[in-house]
Amino acid sequence: MAAIQKENVARLIEFLEESRARKDDVTLNDVMGLAEVMARSMKDYVNAVQPAVTQELVEISDEICRMKQEITQLRATDIKENRIPEAGRELDAIVEATESATHTIMEAAETIMSADPQDADAYQAVVQHKIMEIFEACAFQDITGQRISKVVGTLNYIEERVNSFVRRLRVNEIDDVPAEETAEEKRRRELILHGPQHKGEGVSQEDVDAMLEVFAQDDIDKLFG
Amino acid sequence: MALDLQMPVLVVDDYKTMIRIIRNLLKQLGFEDVDDAADGTEALEKMKQRRYGLVISDWNMEPMTGYELLKQVRADAGLCKTPFIMVTAESKTENVIAAKKAGVNNYIVKPFNAQTLKGKIDAVFND
Repeated sequence: MAAIQKENVARLIEFLEESRARKDDVTLNDVMGLAEVMARSMKDYVNAVQPAVTQELVEISDEICRMKQEITQLRATDIKENRIPEAGRELDAIVEATESATHTIMEAAETIMSADPQDADAYQAVVQHKIMEIFEACAFQDITGQRISKVVGTLNYIEERVNSFVRRLRVNEIDDVPAEETAEEKRRRELILHGPQHKGEGVSQEDVDAMLEVFAQDDIDKLFG
Repeated sequence: MALDLQMPVLVVDDYKTMIRIIRNLLKQLGFEDVDDAADGTEALEKMKQRRYGLVISDWNMEPMTGYELLKQVRADAGLCKTPFIMVTAESKTENVIAAKKAGVNNYIVKPFNAQTLKGKIDAVFND
């Protein structure tokens, strides 16, 4: 790569020394003169590095275009404006349907519990009627199953696009920045809030009973150091 | 401490359906005086106004969890002797240990049945 030539540097130094000797204010002519000397001094250097710089800029521009294309393929707007809100609506509908079915079933059970068995015919009629209501209410499972499938489909769609985005941009080659603990995460950690465990995970009622029986306070204190 | 079916029982859960389930199970077991609260804060207020013979509490509630309620009850000289059963979906070993360390009398993992609830209540009052 070409360096700035010695005579150009000398010319610049000479100009600056001449300017320093003067006592009056800097004029526009002085500034333009300095710019001219600087431009002349840098000319050879710029001529030499220009192809390399141009090439770098072209590559950066290509990379930006490629990233824009990847971001477009991510379909972030569609995910944010359509798919996630739709999945949220499905989940709300599931909660509503399960609540409604639970209410119907419990009400039927409570009516059966409080029915008078002394009058056998009336009692049988109430029980049969309420049992039919329970069967009907259980139909929620079919609809919520379909809604859950739609939500799972959305999650798969998002996962596919994010994975593809990460793969193409080679984001996974960069170490994740350690995430700062949010206030909600801190609360969950401090108050030991894990939520329900999946089948086979966590401890069973038998395990709990054994732990409560076996663990004397001293044993527990030892576990906490 | 003897089991008295007339004693008031406080059920603490933020899920109304669970309160209804436990209330019905307790009714089947013979308990008539069942009160409820939606979280630890409300439960603590109620406990300061009325002496309950038993507290059955969920763990995961807001703003005050069942775990915090348990610790506050045990730290209060007037309430510390109240029998306390945790009924929760929190089923990690560390939860059970933390609850035991905080002074829980028994611990029921959700989902549970009437027999388990009866067994644990009997165990608390037969200790």
